[in-house]
Amino acid sequence: MMCVGISAKVVSVDKDTALIDISGAKRTVSADLIRDLEPGDYVMVHAGTAIAKITDSDVGETKKIMETL
Amino acid sequence: MENRKLSAKEIIESYRGRHLRIMEVCGTHTHEIFRLGIRKILPEAVELISGPGCPVCVTPVGFIDEAVMLALDRSAAICTFGDLVRVPGTEMSLAGARSKGATIKMVYSPLDAVAYAQEHPDRNVVFLAVGFETTTPAACLAAKKAKAAGLGNFSLLVANKTMPNAYRVLKDSTDAFLYPGHVNAIAGTAVCEQLVKEGVSGVVAGFTANELLTALAVVIELSKKGKPFFRNCYPRVVKPEGNVPARELMNEVMEPCDAEWRGLGVIKASGLKLRAPYRDLDARLRFSLPKITGRSNPACRCGDVLQGKCRPSDCSLFGAGCTPGHPVGACMVSNEGACSAYYQYGGNFNG
Amino acid sequence: MDEIVTLAHGAGGKQTSELIDRIFKARFSNPYFTADDAAVLPAEKGKIAFTTDGFIVSPYEFPGGNIGKLSVCGTVNDLACMGAKPLYLSCAFVIEEGFPIKKLEQIAAAMAKTAEEAGVRIVAGDTKVAGKGQVDHIFITTTGIGRILEGANTSGARARPGDAVIVTGDIGRHGCAVLLARDDFGIDADVTSDCAPLWGTVEKLFETTKDIHVIRDATRGGVGTVLYEIAGQSGVGIRLDAEKIPVAGEVSGVCGMLGLEPLYLACEGRLVVFAPKKAASAIVETLRRCPYSKNAAVIGEVASDPPGKVIMKTAIGSQTLLPQPGGELLPRIC
Repeated sequence: MMCVGISAKVVSVDKDTALIDISGAKRTVSADLIRDLEPGDYVMVHAGTAIAKITDSDVGETKKIMETL
Repeated sequence: MENRKLSAKEIIESYRGRHLRIMEVCGTHTHEIFRLGIRKILPEAVELISGPGCPVCVTPVGFIDEAVMLALDRSAAICTFGDLVRVPGTEMSLAGARSKGATIKMVYSPLDAVAYAQEHPDRNVVFLAVGFETTTPAACLAAKKAKAAGLGNFSLLVANKTMPNAYRVLKDSTDAFLYPGHVNAIAGTAVCEQLVKEGVSGVVAGFTANELLTALAVVIELSKKGKPFFRNCYPRVVKPEGNVPARELMNEVMEPCDAEWRGLGVIKASGLKLRAPYRDLDARLRFSLPKITGRSNPACRCGDVLQGKCRPSDCSLFGAGCTPGHPVGACMVSNEGACSAYYQYGGNFNG
Repeated sequence: MDEIVTLAHGAGGKQTSELIDRIFKARFSNPYFTADDAAVLPAEKGKIAFTTDGFIVSPYEFPGGNIGKLSVCGTVNDLACMGAKPLYLSCAFVIEEGFPIKKLEQIAAAMAKTAEEAGVRIVAGDTKVAGKGQVDHIFITTTGIGRILEGANTSGARARPGDAVIVTGDIGRHGCAVLLARDDFGIDADVTSDCAPLWGTVEKLFETTKDIHVIRDATRGGVGTVLYEIAGQSGVGIRLDAEKIPVAGEVSGVCGMLGLEPLYLACEGRLVVFAPKKAASAIVETLRRCPYSKNAAVIGEVASDPPGKVIMKTAIGSQTLLPQPGGELLPRIC
């Protein structure tokens, strides 16, 4: 399905591709669009391409936002 | 007296203010909001509208007709995202073309289409490029790699679109937008800041339960202040500058053009086409496709649904002639379409 | 002997007998195995359960098993779901000309091993060979007879409000394993099919309590499809707790990547059990002591409404309808 983005852990980087791991399922995706990717980083993957480097947890993020209200 | 702050869920459930229209413009948001049961907790005063967030749904019928022509008349092997395969064209869908002998291959990424072209040098291979800012960089990557490899049998049928002018066209249909998290991951938030100056409110929302509830709570709280607002509620993925390499790539390979959105008509500068150096990869030019204006079933109200003018269940075909198994319009075929979501999740909680 | 199956092997003459003797008789050996037109079996007291299933899984070998193992498990489990001890099995093969004999031996060996574990005897069979391209590698049909345990009375129409809904392990493994074996989508995941014979498990269940309303084998269409079938047959609503449904990490990851719902992926060694709530913890405890149900869990309960529907309690504590199964997503999964 095209538009589902999923967060994944980077296992290794090889030039313009990265091996990513989602709960034990691994796939090679394009890393052309992210600079300075390291093993251990988390990325958002979409249509076979890493589109953003992210922090995996949404809890800290939403807590901070709620505090600003 | 309660001296702890309300949670996002409590803020939403307890809202009793003036009627608030919130429009989401992302197919994944449409589905996740149903799947997580968020619609069930919305109070009367909050109306959640599904807007044109599904790229397959806003692609005009004629695009499918062009693809079918390429497949059947020009013998091209079509590589496409799965979502497009069952969308009805004027005469038939791509699945219909397949049953007439066309080669229709589902791919997960546009780069898989390039690989397919490399593996089948004897076939002309066309990738059906649809999508918003999230998916377009991958299509541009495919074009760039194909060109660099001198792949003479690969081309793209382009119908990619960008969101900003769509927000402008829809701004009177809603009080605030839930901006699509991954579109903004690429595009950054400058447009959203600019839109506030034009009187358009919105927040960027992520996709987890936490993120969606937080975004909705923020919209509710900020709308109480009575002036246009913008907040990025997905900062772990969306940076203000967005994804610069992705935008540079998009800018290198494609340029803006006017585009037709199913149901909304032509929106200026909301489409993308291949730039001159990449025009030899344009399937329309390579295969001399005539201009095709598709026709959809006159009873189909996908257009109204996409603008948020009616709910899926208001369409006379909904659940009657039009179901996920036998779709009439794109909104029912695509897994991200509003009609498909309403149908599958038993519809109609709160809007 | 030859290395591949030929049309002569299916002609019914000397080569057919040689094939049967070498491949099947040597492995399925038991007092009732017949060289006659039909097996002759002793009469049974009480009620008999009788079932048949065709197996066309593609590919015919996958992590966790092959079509042979599957063909025995499928029929044994269907009998088990009726509370019937599997007694006898027949198996009919349709084999493509050119199929490797070595693979046929492996398939027969897997059938023998699985039958022995399940305590069922393969007593009759048939072998046909079709021309190249007329069948895809190998198709197997098994038919089974079992004797229903005294007091066992299970049916899809017997689910009642107040029943607990129990699943015997993590879901969707078979469908996921076959999908990855067929077309890898570039995904590398260690997923083995959950294919297993479950009479031993069901026997233990009935030792714990005879008051079990429904036992259903979740095969094609997965647990979700079974739940909708039962909700419809019994005219009840089923309320699931999304957080309680066991799914292996890798299956979850693959589903996330491909946009699939684990509840609708096939299983081949998972039962869905409906029993009165008060028996639920004893049942789960018994299951967890059995080899193929260590992750058994209560995943929901039966309500009187909404009839025929399955509702999920979501991550935010709200409710949503589980979308009904759509068309066949994944062909030839079993």
